[in-house]
Amino acid sequence: MSRTLKHDFPIHLILALAAILTFYPFVFMIISSFKTSPQFIHNFWGIAWPPTLANYSDAWKRVSGYVMNSVLVSTASMVGVLFISSITAFVFGRYNFPGREFFFFAILALLMIPGVLTLVPAFLLIKSFGLLNTYWALILPYVSGGQILAIFILRSFIASLPEELFESARIDGARTWDLYAKITLPLSTPILVTIAIMNVLGTWNDYIWPLVTIPDGRRWTISVGIVSFGSQYGGLENWGPMFAGYVIASLPLIILFMFTMRYFIAGLTSGAIKA
Amino acid sequence: MAELTARQPLSLAAVPEEKQEPLLRRVLRCKECYLLILPTFVLVLLFNYYPAVSALYHSLFDWNGANFKQFSGFSNFINLAKDDIFWLAVGNMVKLTVAGVLISLTFPLIAASLIFHLRDLKMAYFYRVLFVIPLVVPGVVVLMIWRSIYSPNIGLLNQLLKAVGLGMWARPWLGDFKLALAAVIFIGFPWVAGISTLIYLAGFQAIPVELLDAAAIDGASVWARFWRVEIPLILSQIKLIVILTIIGSFQGFTTIFIMTNGGPGMTTMVPGLYLYRNAMYYSKMGYACAIGTVIFIITLILTYLNTRYLKSSVEFVGV
Repeated sequence: MSRTLKHDFPIHLILALAAILTFYPFVFMIISSFKTSPQFIHNFWGIAWPPTLANYSDAWKRVSGYVMNSVLVSTASMVGVLFISSITAFVFGRYNFPGREFFFFAILALLMIPGVLTLVPAFLLIKSFGLLNTYWALILPYVSGGQILAIFILRSFIASLPEELFESARIDGARTWDLYAKITLPLSTPILVTIAIMNVLGTWNDYIWPLVTIPDGRRWTISVGIVSFGSQYGGLENWGPMFAGYVIASLPLIILFMFTMRYFIAGLTSGAIKA
Repeated sequence: MAELTARQPLSLAAVPEEKQEPLLRRVLRCKECYLLILPTFVLVLLFNYYPAVSALYHSLFDWNGANFKQFSGFSNFINLAKDDIFWLAVGNMVKLTVAGVLISLTFPLIAASLIFHLRDLKMAYFYRVLFVIPLVVPGVVVLMIWRSIYSPNIGLLNQLLKAVGLGMWARPWLGDFKLALAAVIFIGFPWVAGISTLIYLAGFQAIPVELLDAAAIDGASVWARFWRVEIPLILSQIKLIVILTIIGSFQGFTTIFIMTNGGPGMTTMVPGLYLYRNAMYYSKMGYACAIGTVIFIITLILTYLNTRYLKSSVEFVGV
């Protein structure tokens, strides 16, 4: 046994146990999603062979609409957040104008306002606009709320870019828009990807707001849809399709994670870097 | 979060600062700036500031959200103070918060510390990625899985108890008056796959190697090094996690909503869910706004205290 392994071995034991306990429910979900109902009851712990795919075709019929709604809402919100927050952060980071501190503080102060406080009036506002049951009821508040932290993170990054870049571009006749689109945006790409991922994660997981503003089941996002779906199937103890539906609901984010793992971890720990 | 508002020196301003120039001229010189930040401010005024102010304002009204609105002074707050369900909800919130803070200060911290002390860096990276994966599973799916684990008939937990001969302990966990709240707290066991672990790990990795080496040369035991060197140096991460946990458990009610919907009876009611019920079921919008206002004020006070208290301890260590 090498010295490294000798030192690490007890740590591995504890971490492996923690990993098994953490992952077992997910593994159980995946195994059960390939079982028929009798298999699930009579062979609760084991793996059923051959696996059945019927649960997936059954669940897909019920869940695919919710997945599409969520893909649409999350993508639109993410694009909106990136566009608006990058422009505002660019102005805050690169220009000095009267009231800048005040306006920036007005954005920061919103980090202290909890969602439960604004829930009721925001719902009534959306209702008075006649936007209930539309995607706008989700996208507009998601963009508005999502840009706050994005502006905060982006501004300090953009402010730290070297001024020489902007100065030489200005001498070459670049206008404000060029400074934003041709210098700031390309240099901010990694941090923009991180913000995009965090934003998608947040909107994909949101439950209360779509529940309140989208009464119509056809426009439900995946969070609201999957709870309704799971409650129906789970109530019937028909767990194969239920677990298959959960797997389908999880796949888009897992695929996103596989392609952007590094940014994902950076985004999740960005809170620590701030502190 | 006082440090968020701290002014950062911005020497890179495109327009050179000229103190003598009149304000109007300086405003006009950067009129583009105001135009470019306009979309942000239109959105936040409409969807963030207006609802927040409206909530604070309407907490003073008897209001059904539509055709009936009457100023009622502080009567919503007085009624809240006499409302047994509200106090029950506050009590549950305190229990959930204390449990959440205790959990976030132990399991993820131990996991991060163990990962940090692995000599095999490839394995350390492996565990770090491994414990991120569950975060990618949608939160609602995780909750639904736990609902199935607690399911009375063929839930994983009851089946496990039966398999090891403890079938008499099997019960409908989320329907149990005494155990429902504990079952909610237990969700996510062993709580190592979370943002907290990642944040702690980032804190450990930021500790200068020289300090750890110096401790080793001085003959400090692993235990002494953990308490005397590592913990003081990751205090800012600990502070952050405590704040995030407190704010999260004060404001969120999705977990309770999906797991128990406040039941059985009202035993797992929390303020957020009570607000939701008052607004959506009973059309008591003014009362709901008052609940929101109370949650907002408590959060503000606790965040302030937390920042103050833990900041001073960091400075103390630094001396």
